[in-house]
Amino acid sequence: MMSSRSITERYGRTVRGIALAAVTAMAAVGCSFLDPTDVDNPATTEDDLAEAKNPTASLIPGLRAMFARTVSRAYFAEVISDNYSIHGTGINKTYDTPREITEELLGSMYDFPQELRSLAAFVLNEIVPLDENPEAADVQEARYYHGMAYLMLGEWFVAVPVEVDGTPVPSATLIQTAITELEAAGTSGTFGLEVRAALARAYRLAGDVGNAETHASAVLAADANFLQARDFDGATITNTLYEFLFLRALKEMQPLPRLDFLDLKYTSREAPVYVSKAEEMHLILAEADFSRDAFAAGRQHLVDAIRLAVTRPTEAFDDDDQRLNLDLSERPHDAIIDIRADASSTFRSGLVLTRPGTITTPTVASTSLDPDSILAIPFNETESLLHAFFLARQEMLFLEGRRMVDLGIKVPMTLEEIEANPSINAGDLGTVVFVPSYIPALDNMDLFTPASPYDDTGALTTTQVTMMVDMNRVLAQNKVSPFGL
Amino acid sequence: MQRSKLARALWASAFAGALLLLTVAPAWGQATGRIQGRVVEERTGRPLEGAQITVEGSVRRAVTDADGRYTLPNLRVGTVTIRVRLIGYSGRGQTLPVSAGLPATANFTLARSAISLDEIVVTGTGREVERRRLTASVHVINTQEIERAPVQDIAQLLQGKVAGMTVNATSAQAGTSSLINFRGISSVFGSQTPVIYVDGVRVDNNVSTASGTGGEQSSALADLLTSDIERIEVTKGGAASTLYGSDAASGVIQIFTKKGTPGRTRITARIEQGFDSPELKYMFDTGLIYPDDIETGFDTNGDGTFDTPADPDFLKNNFFQSGHFQNYYLGVSGGGESITYAVSGRIQEAAGVQLKNQNEVFSMRGAIQAEISNKTSVNFTANYTRTEFGRLFNGSAIADPLTSFEVGDVFFFTGENNFDDALTTFILPDIDEVVNRFRFTSGASLIASDLFRARATVGLDYRTNQQREFAPIGAVIISAGEGRLQRYQRDFTSVTGDFAGTFSYPRTGILTSDFTVGVQGFRDDVSIVNVIGTTFALPGAPDFDEAATIVATEGNTEIFSGGVYFQEEIGLWDRVFLNGGVRFDANSTFGDKVDVEVYPKLGAAYLISDENFFQTALGSVVNTLKLRFAFGKTGKFPTPFLRDRSFNATQFRGESAPRFDNPGNADLAPEVTSTIEGGFDIALIDNRVGIGFTYFDATTRDALFFVPEQPSTGLGTQLRNVGEISNTGIEIDANFQILNTDKVRWDFGLTYHAVDNEVTSLGGAAPFNITAQQRVDEGHPVGAWRLFTPFDSNGDGKLDDSELTFSGKSPMPTKSGSFFTSVTLFNNLTLSGSADWATGHEVFDFGSIWATFNNIFRRELVEEDYEFPIRFDTDGNEIGPWSQNRARSAFLLKGDWFKLRNISARWSIPASVYQFLGVDRATLYGSVHNVKIWSATPLIDPELNGLSAGGSLQLGGRSSVTLSPPRQFRFGLEAVF
Repeated sequence: MMSSRSITERYGRTVRGIALAAVTAMAAVGCSFLDPTDVDNPATTEDDLAEAKNPTASLIPGLRAMFARTVSRAYFAEVISDNYSIHGTGINKTYDTPREITEELLGSMYDFPQELRSLAAFVLNEIVPLDENPEAADVQEARYYHGMAYLMLGEWFVAVPVEVDGTPVPSATLIQTAITELEAAGTSGTFGLEVRAALARAYRLAGDVGNAETHASAVLAADANFLQARDFDGATITNTLYEFLFLRALKEMQPLPRLDFLDLKYTSREAPVYVSKAEEMHLILAEADFSRDAFAAGRQHLVDAIRLAVTRPTEAFDDDDQRLNLDLSERPHDAIIDIRADASSTFRSGLVLTRPGTITTPTVASTSLDPDSILAIPFNETESLLHAFFLARQEMLFLEGRRMVDLGIKVPMTLEEIEANPSINAGDLGTVVFVPSYIPALDNMDLFTPASPYDDTGALTTTQVTMMVDMNRVLAQNKVSPFGL
Repeated sequence: MQRSKLARALWASAFAGALLLLTVAPAWGQATGRIQGRVVEERTGRPLEGAQITVEGSVRRAVTDADGRYTLPNLRVGTVTIRVRLIGYSGRGQTLPVSAGLPATANFTLARSAISLDEIVVTGTGREVERRRLTASVHVINTQEIERAPVQDIAQLLQGKVAGMTVNATSAQAGTSSLINFRGISSVFGSQTPVIYVDGVRVDNNVSTASGTGGEQSSALADLLTSDIERIEVTKGGAASTLYGSDAASGVIQIFTKKGTPGRTRITARIEQGFDSPELKYMFDTGLIYPDDIETGFDTNGDGTFDTPADPDFLKNNFFQSGHFQNYYLGVSGGGESITYAVSGRIQEAAGVQLKNQNEVFSMRGAIQAEISNKTSVNFTANYTRTEFGRLFNGSAIADPLTSFEVGDVFFFTGENNFDDALTTFILPDIDEVVNRFRFTSGASLIASDLFRARATVGLDYRTNQQREFAPIGAVIISAGEGRLQRYQRDFTSVTGDFAGTFSYPRTGILTSDFTVGVQGFRDDVSIVNVIGTTFALPGAPDFDEAATIVATEGNTEIFSGGVYFQEEIGLWDRVFLNGGVRFDANSTFGDKVDVEVYPKLGAAYLISDENFFQTALGSVVNTLKLRFAFGKTGKFPTPFLRDRSFNATQFRGESAPRFDNPGNADLAPEVTSTIEGGFDIALIDNRVGIGFTYFDATTRDALFFVPEQPSTGLGTQLRNVGEISNTGIEIDANFQILNTDKVRWDFGLTYHAVDNEVTSLGGAAPFNITAQQRVDEGHPVGAWRLFTPFDSNGDGKLDDSELTFSGKSPMPTKSGSFFTSVTLFNNLTLSGSADWATGHEVFDFGSIWATFNNIFRRELVEEDYEFPIRFDTDGNEIGPWSQNRARSAFLLKGDWFKLRNISARWSIPASVYQFLGVDRATLYGSVHNVKIWSATPLIDPELNGLSAGGSLQLGGRSSVTLSPPRQFRFGLEAVF
């Protein structure tokens, strides 16, 4: 029989090894220092958020950023409208042909306002109630974004769902919800004027002349030069319009030649997009007057808008844009070129700038209209007045995503929504683009003759360019207005 | 919390087990003797080099030299059994006495064997197992196959060698590698690249390790070098990979490196020279793309006269080049009775086949293996590699010179008016990548007795790469002309711990049993920092602090995976083998409601040819027939942290701006692939023909899809276990020994693979796209092509409408295969060649889409009878060519290809020539890689994957203008001193 001493001698190393291993194993289980199983999510989780001191205030910058992303989606609306056409690969050429727009084409134009709406709802419904001491201004701002999300969804889309598994809510209802939310946000306080301007815009779309006038007048009374800017960040969330207009070598967004003098409106990555401005308020008042056949008053409001717009700042800019069509032929880019809005209009000069070269363009709002010519329009020439009115809206709200709305075009929700939402099937309300019958076929809104007034060597072959369709004449003839002209 | 404790316990056990092995006492001071002998081939009597000699019940081993000789010193006195094994031959064993005096002699004569039943395999088996006992398909690539075709990286090495494996190269650019896939696409959320182990340590296998430069991705496979590899074991998922648990659904590739053999010191010096020649088959050059300029010439000085001729072969003459290649290797190996070592270094330089391409490699490696007793051995391997790559923008980047020239955009993007100036502008940017990679492995092996053996491995792979992309002022970049500097740095660390012990009892008799318990775990840490600086005031090569705008982003992921497994193997009469096993897996990526995933396996193999009745009936024709069947589950763990609901903030105007990030999923679990496979291995006609056949049926359940939350929620997508994917197919590999005389040996081999891939269920999720044209939908292969296709809506025979439709095919080949042949003359000259092919798929030509923007219809230019679809209105009036985005089907091309991959010659120079120099052996070799391509389409190389989305799953099949991997000419001299 082996003694205990000899066992130790014989198996001593092994026993020590087992002991060491056992100790190590216990230490490794108990000690996080040796614990390779411990992983740490670098993102903010729900647990992290619960520890935030002022959660509402912490999320407001997120809403501002989301609003900035949403506002910059205006480029979709700009290319779908007659303002811009596409000449490059960064944006799908199909947008130029509104009736061919299908649900798989809209991405962030739909996703961003929906995310803004959802994030604002999350802040209002889940964070504010938990916040011990939310600032009133923060809550007002959050509710403003909630309302603006509804407003922009209602402006751009036929119908969209606004809850999980929800059925599509039609545009008119979305605008009503926007009004409810904006009214709830309150017209006093830090964000009061912005709320009023948004309400004027929303009531106009709802066809509520009285309330639209009330809020528009209140804005003008408070600040005759009212301007609400949504600035961008040059490094992170940039002005996407500027990227397509200038930054990208392809310069895929090319303006309608008669609007050439307004391009480039944004001259830097952080250049603001104006969400609302006094000019729009004047134009709402004008439209309200036109709708009740008060042409003198309406004409005066139109003139007020023009007088204000021409005082807005301009900026000199070195633009290397060669103004190329998709086939690389040259679009009008010399100041000598005169443009007429359609074959029955008269040629106008001063609408085209010479490029490449140093140009001076408006950064807030401008117009080719002048007060005198407006004042010279007799009251009984309503079509001429309305034409001027629509042209003023087109020029003053240029590159702000509003022209598509004025044309009456509404786009469908995305294919992802249709496929992911069990309450929505292809063909349902909101899944198909809506293009009013007065919108011309194909991409005719963007066309002009000659397609290039230059020959192969770059020499001008003509100094007169004629647009195929004057959409402002079409709008005036069809009296397209939520107020019912 | 339960899961975390379990995971910790697993990890701790593996660590402790490894430690235990190293502390086991060595037994010194006993009397010893030696065995020596020689191994020769039965038919020819020629010595066999490289045969492995092992001693049963001991870690002792030896390898035969060029003369077939071996020595096993320091064996304990008594009776020992030694076994000899060599790929391509039947194994042999001998039991003989060892005494303290004279050495004992054991000579062996080995017969060629068409299937190597005695080959040892360790990957996915829990222990060293002879191939005869395997119930699932495992492929082994040996040194001879590796030496035959000198190539750059591991993916090239594997190309065409394994049935059931597809390898698709990315491009000709340095630092890019290939997509590897086994047995069809089994997942849609993550990479299909198999897990790669080197000497038991899990290594970085990411095929997208730097920021995008237009579509061609930088890959961690590109710096997994092919020198010093002893053998590679490949399991293709299913039962063979089950013991790797949640990590192995895409298969496992395990590389074993050389660790030296006992004997005198051997110095191996290798000098390789060569050049790379561009493959221009799919380049149309300026002659075809710029006919007007070729006709008129250029007005380079702006005087209005077009007095400078335009070169129709401008790219060939100015952009492409034949790049010099050089590679120098020095290795020292050898060892004493109980310690062997191998140390080597390598320097390589290649100029590439396009301007601004270059590649430099510097690597060092040391391996040591020591027997610290008859029972215990330890080994250490350390490897350092520094790789530098120079690249160009490519693919869909407008700064890509090659694409811009080939689609007619060079003047538009540069503003220049002639080819020379345009090219000068295009090559202004520098894209350089530096990879530093360090790998360390420590292993221990214990053979405690005939009854118990164990092994442990602990090691790490550390890889850091930095891509620095500088586009100076004036370069063609998205942000026009202001200058842009980007630095992308990725740090990868993976630590692997692995312990397994096997109890073998009974070991002899009718029934044998081996019971294995193993613990295995790894931890990956990946940290990425990406900094972009834009707008520089002054020319030069600035640093970030000179940029007007700096944006920096960071991303970190951490993964822990740990598992414990049990396996029982039973042998009956040494011809019927049954095994069953199970792995329990915990993983930090699983959701809170998922604790442990269970992966079972079962298998059976029957060596029916060992039965008397079989020998009587068929023995004259069939030498060996093994039937096998296996069932096994494997998994693929989810992306880290996607189990959590999270928010993500961006810097915005001086504030931190949060938004929704990941919606969160507490039920997040790995996707699990169940594979049933059956097949046979047969050797026929005096072991001259060997055929392996496998049928497999793999179903991936709980397949992970990024299911879009309804966009109205604003929540983006969430990874969910909803889908089901099926892959069924067959694999055949065959080898034929056509001649085997003492003067001439001629072998021929082939592989064949067919797979049927289908998404069988979306689990209620909506169909979705992987790329703009590749779709996941029920009843179709993963990534089936779905594009706008013009059709005739009113039956007047004219195309007047266009709709999204499936083309019926996917980018993955449904059939592929390879051929190989080798002739050895006079035992010293070996000529070999290989070819591979693929069919049944379609590829997408993005470059030709781009060209349409310039009214260049490339397919019409190169295919005489092809006409781009013409659009009509519903009244039958012609409108003109369809717009490219409504006629995408016109850019989908047949993918069939056949490539003569490699031709090589190796000549063992007769000893009389160099003996006086002290050289033991000298070999001269030459090879051509990527010799010739045949393809159904003349427009793009259909094998390439030039346009990766950069996401996780990359199916390949999309290319812009992408240069094929070059024709590589190599000439080398290897001398062993």
